[in-house]
Amino acid sequence: MRTKLIAGLLLAAVAGSVVFILLRGRAPAPVARISRDGVLLEEIDLSQVDEPYSLTLEDDSGRNVLSVERGRVCVSEADCPDQVCVKQGWVSNGAVPIVCLPHKLVVELVGTGEDLDGGAG
Amino acid sequence: MKKGLLWVLLALCTLTGCQKAPEPVEATTFAMDTVMDFTLYGDWDRERAKEVRDWMLERLGWLDGKLSATKEGSDVGQINRAGGESVEVGTPTAELLSQSLELCEVTGGALDITAYPAVKAWGFTQEEHRVPAPDELEALAQSIDYSAVRLEGDTVTLPEGMELDLGAVAKGYAGDVLAETVRASDIPSALLDLGQSTIMAVGTKPGGAPWRIGVVDPAQPGSYFAVVELEDMAMGTSGGYQRYFEQDGETYWHILDPDTAAPARSGLASVTVVSPSAFLCDGLSTALFVMGLEEGAQLWRDHPELEFEAIFVTEKGEIYRTAGLEDRFSLAEGYEGREVVVLE
Repeated sequence: MRTKLIAGLLLAAVAGSVVFILLRGRAPAPVARISRDGVLLEEIDLSQVDEPYSLTLEDDSGRNVLSVERGRVCVSEADCPDQVCVKQGWVSNGAVPIVCLPHKLVVELVGTGEDLDGGAG
Repeated sequence: MKKGLLWVLLALCTLTGCQKAPEPVEATTFAMDTVMDFTLYGDWDRERAKEVRDWMLERLGWLDGKLSATKEGSDVGQINRAGGESVEVGTPTAELLSQSLELCEVTGGALDITAYPAVKAWGFTQEEHRVPAPDELEALAQSIDYSAVRLEGDTVTLPEGMELDLGAVAKGYAGDVLAETVRASDIPSALLDLGQSTIMAVGTKPGGAPWRIGVVDPAQPGSYFAVVELEDMAMGTSGGYQRYFEQDGETYWHILDPDTAAPARSGLASVTVVSPSAFLCDGLSTALFVMGLEEGAQLWRDHPELEFEAIFVTEKGEIYRTAGLEDRFSLAEGYEGREVVVLE
């Protein structure tokens, strides 16, 4: 009886692992990871976005408005002086994150299914 | 029989568990006017990797404090405010200055570390942009001259009115210094992202595959057009799209031509340099951007001892790469149809 139970549990574990590995190899599910000064603020699963929406991130350093759509994200508005984050436009792959230096805000995409380790530019 | 099944299942569990990659030790930090990301794989001893990471962050902060033109009490700040007097600097500052002056010479002044007054005049330091008048630019261009910098040992003398800016080379230099630390600590694989435009790859990825780095499409900075594979190699990109402002329908970017003290218009949109030295990648990508395709390609042909390869993207979107990138360069998804001209 006990052996059966253990066998059952192990079987479930194996099945779970197999499903996990299969899922991992399937269509990419990009996640936007938003952090300020190294602290994670928000994670958005971009494959689950049905309606485009915007998200305002504000603190003492300033304000950034993020536009979120299925599979992609951009900073549509910011009150930083250089506007580098806004000029970068839509990001849908994980090569280079959106960085707003004056506000220490970083938006990086992970799990885009592209096997890149980093980006230059 | 049942026991046998148990063992098989157990073995399967272990096998699937093996798929997991070793956990890296990571760090994100704001330094040298950018955000940097370090990933260290030292799975044999994670605690040791953490120690190395903390030491790297400390070292980086120290270098930033010495090499920044804007930070109070930095070596560069002291040189700039010395009014023509000699200043004794730290050995790393002197070392970087010596390397930089050599590169300024090799590039015929396309890289010039004395362009700081011009950078300030355009407002790129404070992000309060303005377009200087032609006579102001002429005066600024006349005062840009790396050959006027005197370096004897750790003593630097700069003529009054001139100012240094190591912004084009400091990140790369930091990359080389930090990579040395990583290697000396027997960490076999690490990726040091020194703020998007400069990347240092130590060793390979865990498992032996090369690091795969995307190169940003200057026409669409949210995408990358190519992938370069790196193994114990650095890479640096300079592009007009990275920092710029618009006024009266004109785009003015932050890479200035030392000859005119105005944004460099050489027909290029971005230059990427691949070499074992991050310093060289950083400084040379700026210089080649200023020189343009023809002159830049000639520099590559004339200086094999510099051991660098390059990717040029013109403002029209044409892609050129040097022959040595064969097997390490590929076009990214969505760009497969684009023509790549190989420079020999």
